[in-house]
Amino acid sequence: MYNKSLLSILIGLFLVAFALKKRTPEPTSYIPTPFYRLPVFPTKNDTVALGRLLFYDNILSANNQVSCASCHNSYNAFAHTDHQLSHGIFDSVGTRNAPGLFNLAWQKEFMWDGATHHIEAQALAPLHDPKEMGSNIKALLSKLRASDFYRKAFYDTYKDTIINSNRTLKALAAFELSLVSFESKYDAVKTDNAEFSTQEKAGYKLFKQNCNKCHTEPLFTNGKYMDNNLPIDSSLDDKGRFLVTKQKEDRYKFKVPSLRNLSYTYPYMHDGRFTTLNQVLQHYSSNQNIKNKGKADLEKAIHLSFNERADLISFLLTLNDKNFVFNPAYSFPKKLKDYLIQE
Amino acid sequence: MQHLIFFLLVFMNIGFTSAQLKFSLAHDSLLYIPIRINQEDSVSLLRFYISNIHIEQGRKIIWEAHKKHYLIDFTQNRLATNIVSGTGLENIKKGRLKFTLGVDHKTASQGIGEGPLDPIQGMYWTWQSGYINFKLEGVSSKCPSRKNRFQLHLGGFQKPFRSAQIIELQITGTRANVVFNIHKFLAEINLREAHSIMSPGEKAVSLMEHAKRCFYVQ
Repeated sequence: MYNKSLLSILIGLFLVAFALKKRTPEPTSYIPTPFYRLPVFPTKNDTVALGRLLFYDNILSANNQVSCASCHNSYNAFAHTDHQLSHGIFDSVGTRNAPGLFNLAWQKEFMWDGATHHIEAQALAPLHDPKEMGSNIKALLSKLRASDFYRKAFYDTYKDTIINSNRTLKALAAFELSLVSFESKYDAVKTDNAEFSTQEKAGYKLFKQNCNKCHTEPLFTNGKYMDNNLPIDSSLDDKGRFLVTKQKEDRYKFKVPSLRNLSYTYPYMHDGRFTTLNQVLQHYSSNQNIKNKGKADLEKAIHLSFNERADLISFLLTLNDKNFVFNPAYSFPKKLKDYLIQE
Repeated sequence: MQHLIFFLLVFMNIGFTSAQLKFSLAHDSLLYIPIRINQEDSVSLLRFYISNIHIEQGRKIIWEAHKKHYLIDFTQNRLATNIVSGTGLENIKKGRLKFTLGVDHKTASQGIGEGPLDPIQGMYWTWQSGYINFKLEGVSSKCPSRKNRFQLHLGGFQKPFRSAQIIELQITGTRANVVFNIHKFLAEINLREAHSIMSPGEKAVSLMEHAKRCFYVQ
């Protein structure tokens, strides 16, 4: 009887450990060391859980109608689809398309132009932007402190009810850092758990020849700011990285986005101008709009035949991580849903 | 009164069990905001960070403030005395007082801070991360801006626009007053052109260098 109980406990512990492991897949040897420490999950009520509540709660916005998830939908790898330019409070339209959120622990800077240098500071940008959440950290803290739900949530996490900006921003950062995506077919191939099809193999070869310099595997970004020769949209005239550095050579440069989960993160480019991958490849096959010939990040067009494009796209689709996108640990938290229903 | 003077008082009276550095404002019109500086200029907000405050003798650090960062605020919090605390001041006869005007770039490159570095203090840029080291707002008839307002939000911690300044001031005797001369600060800048600075850049660095030159020992 005693042995049976012990066995049940051991099985239980194993299942819990397995479930926790599932929640944030462990990166393996082919993945570089992240800049940020990945969150660990020792308890049910950790900072990640608190950050998840905050991430999905409209309480962050001035009118209680916009959350982080409004522009970063889990089912779109936390990107914003359907709109070229993301929109926020009072249907205000911004100037860029919200990027997908995953593998942020491997990013040094955040936003399309790297305006935010640290993940804990990132949430302040949309929170204060009059076109995104139109609020501020002081107002948010007042609302959180007045909320029984959040007083309890902070107590569950920190064992006291102190609600301050440090804890709030760290919790949001913890949830964002937990968004790890390395369970695509590409990853399975890398770990000898799958094989590419003939077409995917051909596409992978083309990728390494033409795309890997900027969309460097295994993160599929080199983390740099580059000008990929997009025609300047005069209605926005978004100068990208230049707005942060004020260096002439940074004009019209944007952070190279990861190609992981790209089926879920359309539309593409910083201003969402392309809806399909074919449009993207069409852009790269054109050698128009090279702004600084001789010094351009992309000097030559990438000419691909119709079949080669199909091969390349076939490979790119192996970068989709369905487990990440549909991971219940990342979706709208039941605890928040139950609270909002009761309220 | 032509000068707005900020005193950094080094109390070394033996009667004090815990000696303190105090940032206080010696200006009667402090009770009234905006603070009238002269016929043309008035100040409605003045806040800045002071970090890594210590006293050196030779190459040796002989005294350090208890906290690494202090937010000095003479307008919103105008009646309060900004206390910089540390122990052992009473034994110091002379030395070099050193501090950083602003938040040093190493601290700024980290995540969100607490206390004076908490973003709720209104000294953190949200559209572009980093601390505002020095914030001065007011009105000047020289400004061609709307309602003649000037807003100088000076910050930036990344190269090539690191703006925090290290200030060194010699102190001797039992008491030293460190003064920030805002009259000099406003008189020697071109408010016709530099009236709205709200991002890191050459102008912010240049004004921070100018602010550094406006501290002196009285």
